[in-house]
Amino acid sequence: MHIPLWLVFAMVALVFWGITGVTQKLSTNAISTELSFLWFGVAMIALALIVLPVVVPHWHIATKDFWLAVVGGTLNSLGAYTSFAALEKGGKASIVIPLCYLYPLLTISLAIAFLHETLTRLQLLGIFLALVAAVLLSQEAPPQTDRPKI
Amino acid sequence: MYSLLTILLWGIWGALTKAISSDLDAYTNQVLFSVGVLPVMAIVLFSGRLTGGVSRRRGILYAFITGILGGTGNIAFFKALSEGGKASVVVPATSLSPLVTVALGFFLLKERASGYQKVGLLLAIAAIYLLSL
Repeated sequence: MHIPLWLVFAMVALVFWGITGVTQKLSTNAISTELSFLWFGVAMIALALIVLPVVVPHWHIATKDFWLAVVGGTLNSLGAYTSFAALEKGGKASIVIPLCYLYPLLTISLAIAFLHETLTRLQLLGIFLALVAAVLLSQEAPPQTDRPKI
Repeated sequence: MYSLLTILLWGIWGALTKAISSDLDAYTNQVLFSVGVLPVMAIVLFSGRLTGGVSRRRGILYAFITGILGGTGNIAFFKALSEGGKASVVVPATSLSPLVTVALGFFLLKERASGYQKVGLLLAIAAIYLLSL
């Protein structure tokens, strides 16, 4: 059976991103959001330094793209910071991460408003489901307490 | 509250990414992304909340692994697109990564969801998939 290379890369992304939800939680169980984020950033920079030799020979990039990518990194990392904070405040990884991944809800709205993109029926259904899901996911079960003895 | 802030920040990032030229390859993207992380790291450095913790070594190790896996995942995602994967297949498929988190949360962290949250999880996974089409 021939497995295309792109599928292997896609599965790596799927699994690695999925694991990060749990490692984020394990990190904030042990240290603060701030220290977690700092070391998350150190790892990102270490990875960038490893791939830098591949990038430099092909360094032809428009100024606009350069700054959009940098600002994108800042926004994404601020989001990483707030997701660390959500987990440190007691949020479960299995609830916080799917909730955060509803962000395309906003991306699509912004793309319609500013990039003049249109919405498909399936995306419209997705928006409705996302709104209901967000409300349901925020319904935390009450903490279990001992029943008073009668 | 923090989860909603994450949706806001990642939502704007997603729109911004759409505006970036497709000429940007996976590695360049990762390098520029890391440049963008620097100002946030600088702010966090002066937060005064870098001490303490129940197990610093373990916490730092997991945070570092998060960064490596997250960054490698980003590169793999862009490589999947450049190796011939159609965006209409790669984007919805990789958007299901929270399923991996939910499964690992259940088995490794022994997390349990309330009845409402279980329904919410199913709807969220369906919504994430539909929104990425």
